Amino acid sequence: MATAVQMPKQGNTVEECLLVEWRVKEGDSVKKGDILCAIETDKASFEVESTADGAVLKLLAQAGDLVPVLTDIAIIGVAGEKVDAAAAPAAGKPAEAPSPARAGAKPAKPAAAAASQAKDGAPVSPRARKLAEKLGVDASAIPGSGINGRVTSRDVQSAVDSGAAKRATPLARAEMKEKNLAPAAATGIGGVVRARDLAEKRAGTARPTASAAAAKAPEVVPYKGIRKLIGDRMHASLMDHAQLTLNSGADATAMMALRKMIKEHGEAMGLPRITLNDMVAWVAARTLPDFPEVNAVFDKKAATLTKYGQVQLGMAIDTPRGLMVPVIADAHTLSLAEMSVVIARYAEDCRKGSINPDLLTGGTFTITNLGNLGVETFTPVLNSPQVAILGVCAIKDTPVKTPDGFRFQPRMGLSLTIDHQVVDGAPGARFLQAVAKGIETIDASLALLGAF
Amino acid sequence: MVKEIVLHPDDIRAKGKLKFKDIELNAYDTPFEKAAKRFPKADLVRMHRDMAILREFETMLDRIKKEGRYEGIEYSHKGPAHLSIGQESLSVGQAYTLTTDDCSFGSHRSHSEILSRGLRSIAQLDEPKLMDIMKNYMGGLTLSRVEKDARGGVRELADDFFIYGTLAEIFARETGWHKGLGGSMHAFFPPFGVYPNNAIVGGSGDISVGAALYKRVNRKPGIVVANIGDASLGCGPVWEGICFATMEQCRTLWDKGFNGGLPLIFNFVNNLYGMGGQPNGETMGLKVLARLGAGVNPEQMHAERVDGFRPLAVIDAYERKRRILEEGKGPVLLDTITYRFSGHSPSDAMSYRTKEELDEWLAEDAIPAFADKLVKAGIAAREEIEANLALAKELVFKAFTKAIDPKASPYLDPAKDPIIENVMFSNNRKLVLDDRKPEVTIPLADNPQIQRLAKKSRFGLDENGKQLSGMKTVVYKEAVFEAIIDRFYEDPTLCAWGEENRDWGGAFAVYRGMTESIPYHRLFNSPISEGAIVGAGVGYALSGGRAIVEIMYCDFLGRSGDEVFNQMSKWQSMSAGVLEMPLVLRVSVGAKYGAQHSQDWTSVCAHVPGLKVVFPATPYDAKGMMYTALAGTDPVVFFESQRLYDTPELFEKDGVPAGRYEIPFGEPALRRPGKDLTICTIGATLYRALAAAKILEEKYGVSAEVWDLRSLNPLNYEPIIESVRKTGNVLLSSDACERGSYLHTVASNITALAFDHLDAPVAVVGSKNWITPAPEQEDSFFPQDFWIVDAVHQRIRPLPGHQAQCNWTDGEMYRINRKGV
Repeated sequence: MATAVQMPKQGNTVEECLLVEWRVKEGDSVKKGDILCAIETDKASFEVESTADGAVLKLLAQAGDLVPVLTDIAIIGVAGEKVDAAAAPAAGKPAEAPSPARAGAKPAKPAAAAASQAKDGAPVSPRARKLAEKLGVDASAIPGSGINGRVTSRDVQSAVDSGAAKRATPLARAEMKEKNLAPAAATGIGGVVRARDLAEKRAGTARPTASAAAAKAPEVVPYKGIRKLIGDRMHASLMDHAQLTLNSGADATAMMALRKMIKEHGEAMGLPRITLNDMVAWVAARTLPDFPEVNAVFDKKAATLTKYGQVQLGMAIDTPRGLMVPVIADAHTLSLAEMSVVIARYAEDCRKGSINPDLLTGGTFTITNLGNLGVETFTPVLNSPQVAILGVCAIKDTPVKTPDGFRFQPRMGLSLTIDHQVVDGAPGARFLQAVAKGIETIDASLALLGAF
Repeated sequence: MVKEIVLHPDDIRAKGKLKFKDIELNAYDTPFEKAAKRFPKADLVRMHRDMAILREFETMLDRIKKEGRYEGIEYSHKGPAHLSIGQESLSVGQAYTLTTDDCSFGSHRSHSEILSRGLRSIAQLDEPKLMDIMKNYMGGLTLSRVEKDARGGVRELADDFFIYGTLAEIFARETGWHKGLGGSMHAFFPPFGVYPNNAIVGGSGDISVGAALYKRVNRKPGIVVANIGDASLGCGPVWEGICFATMEQCRTLWDKGFNGGLPLIFNFVNNLYGMGGQPNGETMGLKVLARLGAGVNPEQMHAERVDGFRPLAVIDAYERKRRILEEGKGPVLLDTITYRFSGHSPSDAMSYRTKEELDEWLAEDAIPAFADKLVKAGIAAREEIEANLALAKELVFKAFTKAIDPKASPYLDPAKDPIIENVMFSNNRKLVLDDRKPEVTIPLADNPQIQRLAKKSRFGLDENGKQLSGMKTVVYKEAVFEAIIDRFYEDPTLCAWGEENRDWGGAFAVYRGMTESIPYHRLFNSPISEGAIVGAGVGYALSGGRAIVEIMYCDFLGRSGDEVFNQMSKWQSMSAGVLEMPLVLRVSVGAKYGAQHSQDWTSVCAHVPGLKVVFPATPYDAKGMMYTALAGTDPVVFFESQRLYDTPELFEKDGVPAGRYEIPFGEPALRRPGKDLTICTIGATLYRALAAAKILEEKYGVSAEVWDLRSLNPLNYEPIIESVRKTGNVLLSSDACERGSYLHTVASNITALAFDHLDAPVAVVGSKNWITPAPEQEDSFFPQDFWIVDAVHQRIRPLPGHQAQCNWTDGEMYRINRKGV
């Protein structure tokens, strides 16, 4: 019996998805869980997995098509099986009454699927799989102590505790498994291995010869999909807004001391791994309610500026597919620890491609961070229709005058772009000053609030 | 067994001859004109009218089933229709003598009995009472469908009400007597004394005994009639019912005022066929069914054959037999001759009888014959007869069009409406079911067993944690006793019976001391009739009393299979909540007695919808759960364990409370906390699981949490799932054979509810799929502590250094299943 694969429903608001490209062609044989195609909404890109084993009997949509969600896009069945008869009932039922299972189907999660398969290795218990997922380790790479070598949750926990299992992002785990790589470093939050850590290793071990490098043909990348979306938006932003960037800086001594303290004692205190970026975000979110003119959305057509007392904080995330900006709801109400957890989760989901598209809209202000890449100052592009965006830059030891000479102070660069159509330079600068002050006194603020 | 009755060898061994009295066959010979004189004219004409209605009603169903139309209107009825065309005169004659105080039970072929009793009740009751019944039945739902186009007065309205309600039930409509949940074979109407008709052949044979028992011991007015087929005499429950109903003790040993033969008529509706088999000459050897009475008791059950084709002969017989019952000399057996002109069911091709035979009986058709007699005797004009026939058509047609109208008579939609779910159990709590003072012989405080128990410790361990002897502390069987005797002093309707229940105190002495307090009619030894023990309990409970019956060994459940699986479990829901079933069935799980006395059949009971199934494993639970069982209104299969009868309370530090307390069904009890493994048990295996938990902890550092499920149905999984979320591993164990064990249902549900929390598949440790061997070999049959440890080692988590004695490997699972053992 042939099975129809549907265009999944991505979040509540998405009605149709762009089919970017097919990864299979008619006649290919596929396994349940294999990636059939890449799709995109106006917010993010995803992959669609096959829901059955068998041959691809028919592809019902073309690359470039806008396909309504819960519509059949492919038929999987036994090679040679007649498609029309099989497809008819499947195509007949879904649109108006999707089954609960279908409607609630999760978007494709390639990395998670890879982690849970472990088919050639030892069996992994469901509990172990769940724990491994949570801790970000590849359970199938852990020696199992259960019956028939089954990997159990105890095994996962002790492998993480002993450091034998490296915690890694889903992408890194997928690559490690696929290409049999070991991490060379762990540069992620809390020592999590990231894909780039593998790239370094790859560069170190593979050492492409000069001739091989020379032989590499130039790569022509089509300007389409999410790339085109980002690009068009950036261009539109620059055309629609009068962008003015103000550069400043803040003494990061308190912040760095705090980070050191959290690194050393945070776990014992039950705190998550809190990054400098989390701290800046927290300070900005706490500062913004006092500056509603920069926490605002400009609608030129309607000729209105809407200023907000609540902060819906956009956080620019670098993903393999390009820039994504999930929005942290009511960010001004979050504790530093909560903020940190939310950012980490959203960032992870963005990188995996599993972020709920509903989380990619509705921001009132955005933060973008190039500091960890050493950028000292830059001109962030407004996340239209917002009127301000804060760029977080690298921390540099800067000499400052002291009564007895000078000393080096760790200084964080801050670049604030505002829309000069609706925000003047001075109010923007006052906001930037307030953020800088917040950064410099973060320890006092936290102490004042009495909690992280 | 009974010291009052001494058995002398001289008497028993004396030479002599057993003499039988003659059994009358169709003795009634009063000429119609003479007999008719004592009846009001209107009654005689009405008898004809009622027969005509019955005939038209069944004819309508016959047409619908065979031709798909009636009077030109098409309708398809998917359900059954076992018609009684030809049997109307018997039903109408019988109904004439019965009042709403009398209860009649029936069979799958009882439409005529239901209708005739309904129509007769309508003629007997006064109008306000009739209106009251119609308004109150199912909140007036059925009435609301016939009120608008009623013909005339209250009685005419009631005719419409009753014919329509019966047909709507047959057609499975929400406006029927039981919202369509009973249907053709199970329709009944208690306000008119019409009690369950039963689709199981002979099903009423023992249930009716319980109803008669209820009337006798609770001194309720009226008699009970069991309308069962001639062929049902081949069914065990009918014979058991007869044996139970004729117990001599009712007349000789029971206290004055409560004694006397049961007021019950076994009315064999002898239509000469059992489906296609012919008891007379083919499938049985009685030849004349009434003969059986002679074999049962010295009164020969007052048996006689009655010509059911003559309504006045039937009336005469019932009037005479009622006097016998009222004198306390029942029960009575009637072999009432009739003949069904229609097939057994629509699929009956009548290959078993000739057209000539059918024609001969058709020539005797009672309806035209009775009409002719009425006309000839000048009692009714021909026009009146024609008017009766026309009225029958009119009433049936009216009910028919209404019952098939989807707007007036909708079907329930069980998928949308939780009605069936809501009537599976009545879930009421009623401490007393009648307001009179319970009959007991001494004050409770004077009861010798109560006094003995008062001297005992309530907790099973001494201050040093050493287990006390059963002589010094209250044990399981005594805890059960305490709850039951206390309820005997509270609920006057509570009765207990079973084998050896009285002086012996039950085979396991649970009722030790009960005889001293409870008079004979409330606690008695039954014949060894497990079917009738339970069946009588069903009849007693649905009549409004509370019964606690016992079948000794669990293995004997097979003997009461129909009563447990089809009767006790079904009547609350098939009546759509009209009936309650406050019946507790005590079942004792054995050991040491080999293959037919040592089986745990809890799974079988839990499988059948409509039963609450519990298995307490501690004295504290046994008492508290018995109180719950005896306070509820639902059928409870109460399992006890012979291994545990002498076990004291080891868990509740304050011991078994001396007073009352109820433990709600469905809540598992935590017996030992742990963090690495969850073990759940049902029944006595609890103690072996605790021993296993000790080994796991002490030898292997595995901390096992042990839960006693206590209930099979209902069962709250939440605490178990919470435990599994913590430990990640589950092992289930009970004494039931592994294959088909309820443990597998639990395992499947745990897997579904906690899949992502499992570190290993749920392990099930049941008894072997063998016969139970001798006690010397039971260690290889029932789960033992070391079985559980081995199963943990081989199915859940290897225990370092452990040497397994049992084989729990995948290969062994494949092997035993392939072999079917």
